Amino acid sequence: MRMVSLSLGVLLFLAGCSSDRPRPRPELNGLLRQSVSSRRDPSLGQIWLASLGKRGGRERIELIDLRNRRPVPLPGLNRADAQPISLSVSGDGSRIAVVQQRDDRTELFLYRRNAAALQRIPLDPPGVPRSVSLDGSGRLLAVQVSRNGRWDVDLIRLP
Amino acid sequence: MERASGGLLATSQQDPALSGNGKWLAVISDLRGRQTVQMRNVINGSIQALPQLKRHQPHSSPSLSWNGRYIALITQHGRRRMAVIADRLNGRLHPIQLPGGRDPIQVSLAPDAQTLALQVTDQGLWRVEIFDLSDVLEIDRPAGQALSTPPLTPAP
Repeated sequence: MRMVSLSLGVLLFLAGCSSDRPRPRPELNGLLRQSVSSRRDPSLGQIWLASLGKRGGRERIELIDLRNRRPVPLPGLNRADAQPISLSVSGDGSRIAVVQQRDDRTELFLYRRNAAALQRIPLDPPGVPRSVSLDGSGRLLAVQVSRNGRWDVDLIRLP
Repeated sequence: MERASGGLLATSQQDPALSGNGKWLAVISDLRGRQTVQMRNVINGSIQALPQLKRHQPHSSPSLSWNGRYIALITQHGRRRMAVIADRLNGRLHPIQLPGGRDPIQVSLAPDAQTLALQVTDQGLWRVEIFDLSDVLEIDRPAGQALSTPPLTPAP
């Protein structure tokens, strides 16, 4: 009986929603499966997809141009001694914010594609970053930070 | 580098998501023991009501379009996790149906709301799948951006 009422609830919910369907993009989804054992943490810009792809047991940050479905080189971003945890690409694709772990330290970084430069963003007061989000221009950053056993959200304006 | 005050909000907050224009921030808050999405105006701190998302907690992984018109996130319906997109302009809710028993984990909405990326579990592995939303949602474009109307040309 409980199962019937649950199913009825889902049906009623769906009936109140739009009937139009999102369309999968098979050519792109096939590409995203190729040559990685798993992929996680998607972040969409206007024409960009950033995500963490796992190859040979190691996760790397990848940026794909959705117009031609090709990966974009990110020199200096993926370090052999660092494990990426989460990321966000700006709407214009010019910047990628990344939380990564290295030598037991978890830190927040900003990558500027035009300079191929990775800059550490210090947290004040100090804390352990987890999840990050950039706005369209990459000039405003929101980051989830663990401090004294609870989660805060910091907003950071970037030059 | 200019900073907002540390610990922007009063209670525990997770999964921050900024709108493309930087005016809106969505976070997952612990409200009376239920993980619930909240949307805040970054400039004045006011909370925006999301009546179509009042139930179906726990919520997770919010993502906003350019002006914050659309909010995509993961919700719970019965035993199933489900990705949905809420339209704050007209109150409609768009579910994203996943065939084959795959569960949604994380969601990202493009700034113009025409593309959605979903992280799903598929036979114990994480995959990312892309969906075209152009038949479903209107474009949420930056203010002042030119439309596709062709320019006027002088008559020969």
